[in-house]
Amino acid sequence: MSGGLSGGASGAAAAGEVVLSARDVHRDYQLAGETVHAVRGISLEVRAGDWVALVGPSGCGKSTLLNLLGAIDRPTSGTIAVRGRDIAALRDRDATAFRLRHVGFVFQRFYLMPQLSALENIELPMAEAGVARAERRARARELLAYVGLDARERHRPAELSGGEQQRAAIARALANRPAFLLADEPTGELDAATGAGIIALFARLNAAGTTIVVVTHDGDLARAARRVIHLRDGHVVNEVHA
Amino acid sequence: MPRSPIRSLSFRARSVALPALSHALLAVLPARAQVAPPAAPPPARHATIALDARLATDAGIRLGDLVVVAAAPGIPGDTLRVAAFVRRGADPSEVARAEYRVRMHLADLQRVLGYGDRVDRFAIATRDSAATTRAIAGINAAAFGFRAHRSRDIAIETSRTFAVISRFHKAIGVITIGASAIFLLCIMLMKVEERRRDVAALRLVGLSAASVVRAVVIEAALVSVIGSGAGVVLGAVASRLVNAWYQQLYRTPLTFSLVTPGIVGFAVALSVVLGLAAGVLAARRLVRTPPLALLGR
Amino acid sequence: MIGVLAAASLLRHRARTALAVAGVAVSAAMVLDMVMLSTGMRESFRSLLERGGFQVRVGPRGAMPFDGEATVGGGAGLLDTLRAIRGITMVAPVLGATLHAPQPGGAVAAFALGVIAGSQGDYVLQEGHEAVADGEVVLNDPMLAAVRRRVGDTLTLATGYDPQLRTFSGGRTLRIAGRVRFRYLAADQRGAALPLATLQAMGGDARRDRLSLVMLRVDPAADVEAIRAGIDAALPRVSALSTATALQQAEQRLSYFRQLAFILGSISLVVGFLLVTTIVTVSVHERVGEIAVMRAIGVSRRHVVQQVVLEGLVLSLAGSAGGLALGLVTARWLDSILATFPGLPESVDFFLFQSIPALAALGMLVLTGLAAGAIPAWRAATLPVAATLRREAVA
Repeated sequence: MSGGLSGGASGAAAAGEVVLSARDVHRDYQLAGETVHAVRGISLEVRAGDWVALVGPSGCGKSTLLNLLGAIDRPTSGTIAVRGRDIAALRDRDATAFRLRHVGFVFQRFYLMPQLSALENIELPMAEAGVARAERRARARELLAYVGLDARERHRPAELSGGEQQRAAIARALANRPAFLLADEPTGELDAATGAGIIALFARLNAAGTTIVVVTHDGDLARAARRVIHLRDGHVVNEVHA
Repeated sequence: MPRSPIRSLSFRARSVALPALSHALLAVLPARAQVAPPAAPPPARHATIALDARLATDAGIRLGDLVVVAAAPGIPGDTLRVAAFVRRGADPSEVARAEYRVRMHLADLQRVLGYGDRVDRFAIATRDSAATTRAIAGINAAAFGFRAHRSRDIAIETSRTFAVISRFHKAIGVITIGASAIFLLCIMLMKVEERRRDVAALRLVGLSAASVVRAVVIEAALVSVIGSGAGVVLGAVASRLVNAWYQQLYRTPLTFSLVTPGIVGFAVALSVVLGLAAGVLAARRLVRTPPLALLGR
Repeated sequence: MIGVLAAASLLRHRARTALAVAGVAVSAAMVLDMVMLSTGMRESFRSLLERGGFQVRVGPRGAMPFDGEATVGGGAGLLDTLRAIRGITMVAPVLGATLHAPQPGGAVAAFALGVIAGSQGDYVLQEGHEAVADGEVVLNDPMLAAVRRRVGDTLTLATGYDPQLRTFSGGRTLRIAGRVRFRYLAADQRGAALPLATLQAMGGDARRDRLSLVMLRVDPAADVEAIRAGIDAALPRVSALSTATALQQAEQRLSYFRQLAFILGSISLVVGFLLVTTIVTVSVHERVGEIAVMRAIGVSRRHVVQQVVLEGLVLSLAGSAGGLALGLVTARWLDSILATFPGLPESVDFFLFQSIPALAALGMLVLTGLAAGAIPAWRAATLPVAATLRREAVA
């Protein structure tokens, strides 16, 4: 497709270049008066074109790590760098702008804006980035066509099936040509057949050069990834390359 | 400057009302209160006068002080001893008037005004209503130069201003009740809407629609009752503040805002009825929606 | 897009939004009415006082014009003194009295003004001509109706009437020269005007050379306040009132309404504020998840604030527009109630629509709506994104 799916805003990454790196990252938070050590000294690198699956039991720190990598959350200590730029120390305004232009988020429960149509949902991040109306509408249509929803652009989320909602959410995540895609349990709310469709979409995206980090319990999704990192109690316990 | 024992007051001679045989009611011009030396040594015994407490405060007059009263500025008057202070009655028609009122013995006032043996009107006490009717008829038939009126008729005539204000207040009340009703309905609808997920959960575990409606309506009624209880307290406090503010502003004992059991009952009943209506409306809408749709599925 | 989101959010709960707009509209109407009441009364009186073009009113010292029956003697001398003051271009003397017209079964009383035709500012001629010559009188509609006369007829009027003996004193038969409308009389109040000398003569010794009021027209280049103060200082028997002072005194009498307007207007603003705050807060509370997602995908705090504030603004703007219409209707209703005040001049309006104060009032309500949206907006913008997403996922 024209303009590419990702890497646009931050410049096209050369294959194999380190896009994302975490060094000795810790994240503690308070829960009911107790300190929870969600992430305990994790280090990892994600290269351009990688597809990394973070797996592990509930509460092992996968989602927390994903939030840290996407600058939604800040580490208690350690550094997280995107193409050498430390994002852990960004102020809220800069972190927001960073998420807008460099990160594509996909959530388990899709989280599309219920009051907007599929097309408008995809336009939303572009509108925020100041993309002209005609241009963003054209790209949104292009992305909808890419994820197979071109006939559903005027539908509201409530009028779409779970799989269609997740496809629209993936299209939204790609809107500003992010450096990488972060997905938290993207098949968690879907049946096996629909989930398989989403996995196939991820594979197609990755094949087209999109860097993906996905948190999942879904064995099929993990097996589709190039690298699988196992986490337990906030630590990386092993890593398997496909 | 040493305080002079004698003050000179002048009275407007017109518009004088003499409501009773024993006492007179006068309008006093506040700006005319001046300190002046006595024209002659005061006699041992002076006639007495009762001053408006506001005048006493404003002019720094104390009980026992001597004041000179005259029918007009600049003319000689009588020296009287201040024997009492009188407060304004709680008369709504007097509220916004700044004039002072004083009371004097009739003979003293007649002398000051050069009124001779004249009075403006008599007040007559009767035994009962029938006696009043007979007295009015008798006086009107026999006494040339006089006309008797029933006090109630005069009160109705003189309270026309207050009747207009009362109608105005009622109209404002209607608007306020309209606004309150909308506010209440809105809040109650939101309160019930908040319970979407709880209602969905109750329906999913098998509670009947009727039970859910009952639960929501009971909750709405409780919220209304507690809310209106708090409203009554707030209203009572606001009423006190309004009274304190107006009473000091107009220096009157008049009660401007009154929280009566009837008003409290009306307010509580209105809020409970509105709360129940909103509860029933919202609850019926909730139970008609499939539970999964309530959960956003 | 922010606008689309705000509109969509308001349309999601239509009944609630409609109720909120209605509530704000009633509050706005109340604020508008109270501003119309507080400013309108003053402006209405000012316009009434200035309509005749007289800037200073001179009356017996210590009395408001026609507040009671006080008069000042030596009228001719007083007029000469006033005419000699530099800067005074017209002197219009007035004597007020109650006149009685003998009628079958009793008498009809009317408030009468003795004036000098051509220099009076108390009435507007509607038919015929002014009472210029001795023996002429002009009447208003209520009086013409009460005595069943028309312009050109004659009418006997007396200064004294004893209801018991049914005897009249100081009576004189006058020719009705014209039909007039009095500026300062109530709609149903009977009124008559006749030459000043005629009325003074009808009153005998009690009214000879006496005046109730003298109205002065001042040269536009002259200092009205200096002239007023000069008269006040030089003439001990009279008080000079400027329009501003007269307004102040009238306002003192009606201060209750200004106070009431202030209190009710403030309460209405608070109610409007609370309503908008409540609606927008609940709306934000209901969609913290959505807001967290917007923040997660890179929507700035500023835009989240804008969206939420826009919701409050739309509510208060829509409410204010409705309030403008509702306020005008309710003001007319309330004015019709207060217009029945005994003795109130017909042309005095308690509620007067003036575009600038009205727009200022509604603008204040819109600002209140903005402020009301600001609190929930700030709460929305400062949501901890990660924690909110986690909570929403659990919910």
